[in-house]
Amino acid sequence: MTTQGLQVNTVSLGQGARTWIRDDAFSVAPGEVLTIMGPSGSGKSSLLAAIAGTLGNVSVDLEPLTFVGDVRLHSQVITHLPAHQRGIGLVYQEALLFAHMTVAENLLFAVPQRMPRVERAATIQAALTEIELADFGDRDPGTLSGGQRARVAIMRALLAKPKAILLDEPFAQLDETLRAQMRAWVYAQVNARGIPAVLVTHDRRDIPASGRVHTLQREATHVG
Amino acid sequence: MLLANLSLTARRSVSHRLAVIFFALIVSVPIAWALFAVAGQALDSAALHALWQQPQARSALALSVWTALVSGVLAWLTAARLLAIGFVHQTLMRWMQHLPALLATPHAAMAIALVLWLSPSGWLLRLVSPTLTGFQSPPDWSTTQDPWGLGLILALWLKEVPFLLWIGATQLRRDDIRRRWQSEYGLAQTLGYPPSAAFARVVWPQLALTLRWPLLAVVAYGLGVVDMALILGPTTPPTFAVLSWQWLGDANVAQQAMGAVAAGVLTGCVALMAALIMYGRATRWLLVRGAMAVVQWPPLTTPVSLATSAHGVPPPWTVRAKRYSHSYGLWAALLVAYLLSWFALAVGSVSGLWPFPHVWPAQWTMGAWQQVGRSTATLWNTFALALASATFCMAWCMAWLELAPRAWHAALRPWLLLPMVLPAIVWVIGLYSVALFVRLEGQWLGLIGAHAVMVLPYVLLALEPAYQSVDARQGAVAASLGRSRWAYLFAVKWPQLMPALMAAWAIGFAVSVAQYLPTLYVGAGRFDTVTTEAVTLAANGQRTFMSAYAALQMLLPIAIFWLASVMGRPRQFARSAS
Repeated sequence: MTTQGLQVNTVSLGQGARTWIRDDAFSVAPGEVLTIMGPSGSGKSSLLAAIAGTLGNVSVDLEPLTFVGDVRLHSQVITHLPAHQRGIGLVYQEALLFAHMTVAENLLFAVPQRMPRVERAATIQAALTEIELADFGDRDPGTLSGGQRARVAIMRALLAKPKAILLDEPFAQLDETLRAQMRAWVYAQVNARGIPAVLVTHDRRDIPASGRVHTLQREATHVG
Repeated sequence: MLLANLSLTARRSVSHRLAVIFFALIVSVPIAWALFAVAGQALDSAALHALWQQPQARSALALSVWTALVSGVLAWLTAARLLAIGFVHQTLMRWMQHLPALLATPHAAMAIALVLWLSPSGWLLRLVSPTLTGFQSPPDWSTTQDPWGLGLILALWLKEVPFLLWIGATQLRRDDIRRRWQSEYGLAQTLGYPPSAAFARVVWPQLALTLRWPLLAVVAYGLGVVDMALILGPTTPPTFAVLSWQWLGDANVAQQAMGAVAAGVLTGCVALMAALIMYGRATRWLLVRGAMAVVQWPPLTTPVSLATSAHGVPPPWTVRAKRYSHSYGLWAALLVAYLLSWFALAVGSVSGLWPFPHVWPAQWTMGAWQQVGRSTATLWNTFALALASATFCMAWCMAWLELAPRAWHAALRPWLLLPMVLPAIVWVIGLYSVALFVRLEGQWLGLIGAHAVMVLPYVLLALEPAYQSVDARQGAVAASLGRSRWAYLFAVKWPQLMPALMAAWAIGFAVSVAQYLPTLYVGAGRFDTVTTEAVTLAANGQRTFMSAYAALQMLLPIAIFWLASVMGRPRQFARSAS
């Protein structure tokens, strides 16, 4: 029998002599948003990097990070795959729109290259309309408001058709009214696409209604 | 009470503004004056007409443009590939530790080392003679002063790659930029791009734009270089800069006027290059897109090592960021080229009699080094000039970056960087005129001033990123704790900036040591430095002596870089509080 969704089993995650997470496991069903909470420095962002496969890019003081464990997507082990073959989307608190591309080019970057040109253009226009930025395609991303940037960043992640999505405090830079709207929209997207989503946040109000919460403990294993 | 406070801040800002004006004037006046002086001489229409009649002028100009462009393109592509490897495999910061030694190798020393390797009686042919070539005596080839300038191109290429790499790495040394680019690069991978493609499409276009200024400096250097071209460059005709230099040194006034006009023509070429590199849409596209191929191919993989646990299947996997060893290929090749150059200089400087096909000298001698040891005036001149000009430039930059309002700095910056971009020959003509006017030609003060003008842009470029990365709120915190501005500078800011300050000072020192034209021209030939000696000896083909002076020309800055790295070492803390 195969299990659907995302399963993450961490034996240990740390750097050098320090371990942040030990013996931790969780799973997320398709369409579910699992909220991960934990104190600062408990390794939440590093855990997301381990799931997405970008651990090699994260350098803290040049000491490499080590993740021991396994990540499964629909029962398939993906731990050994490089980031670009995993199909796991990642959205950061800073929207990280590429500064040298227009808004439309940022979205286009995520659309599979093999799609015909006309179809790609249509996809982008539909996506821009969906996030209520239909006339903003040619704009410099630096001129967008915080809420607009967040929408573009999330839409960009979704356009790559990820099989799971990781959200690293995506609402942290938005004001309260905007946050409520964004949450509702993002959870609806996750639900509609039926993909597992992991949300890291410090704000309990971000937890979706009747959503599960997974809490990381702070490991204080300093060797020395 | 409130009124008193207001007048206090107003008074301080007046003295502040006066200080800014003072610092702006002490560098901008000599620079503007020198440019004004040279403009008068370079725009002489009669001399321009005479120049146009010269049979060798046009082919010399074509040769200069060719060597500058080819070496510039090669350096650009190599640096792009190295930055890609260094970024993807996170080895850039470790490479930076060796970079000072490469940067400190003066252009003239590199040229002399290549002569030792490539000339018909050089090491390369000795290694394969007579076994492979059958040569019993050096062949009649022009391998170093070849008519195509290939030797010059090779030397410029080797010298400019570390420079571009250094500027690129200083960008990545800024925490804010590095974190952002690393995140964007990771993000592009989650969108389905393999590591090299993610770097090429997201990081490289942003990095390349910041490298256009340095690229212009590289091309301009290639156009205006005299010392290297005298040693390695073609002779019939020589490059345009050498031609201009020869005319300037002529006793005939008409020839001198032609030399000044030739310097003006070189400046025109640099201006054209500047327009193309900084503003040309097509060039911009070429620079970013053209290098994308070498950035992406052969593909680079993420440095992650995988190991299954001892328990076998099903695994917990161990995913570990790994340091790649095979990514060192290109970097190692560059290092080896430099090591071979240094080695050739070291052996050359102690070689006595060295008949041709022999791989090693038949006699060893310390004669050249003994003479170097006796030439205390030359050593003192070199050291004192470098110390004075580097220290002045560092002090000036510290004051300027501390005090100058953003808008002032933005306005003055292009002028400060100009000495990097305009041909050295233009500067020496201008600075000599200024020195003549204030009667400082052939004087210490005039010579230090001329060196300082050439050193300033490098020190500024080395310091700017560090100053920009300082969190201004730290000053506010210090002030709110009741500490004065000076206390903040001495106890907080300068200690934090120490590695950058020391590195900038060492770079300034190295740039000064390598100066050839200003020393000779503004010093009116009265001051010998290790560089002027090395170039003169190379022109006379004195192998042992030129090697010794070239080695010294390199050892001095390397010693200073070492000293700077010791003095600027970041504070080491205990690793745990047990």
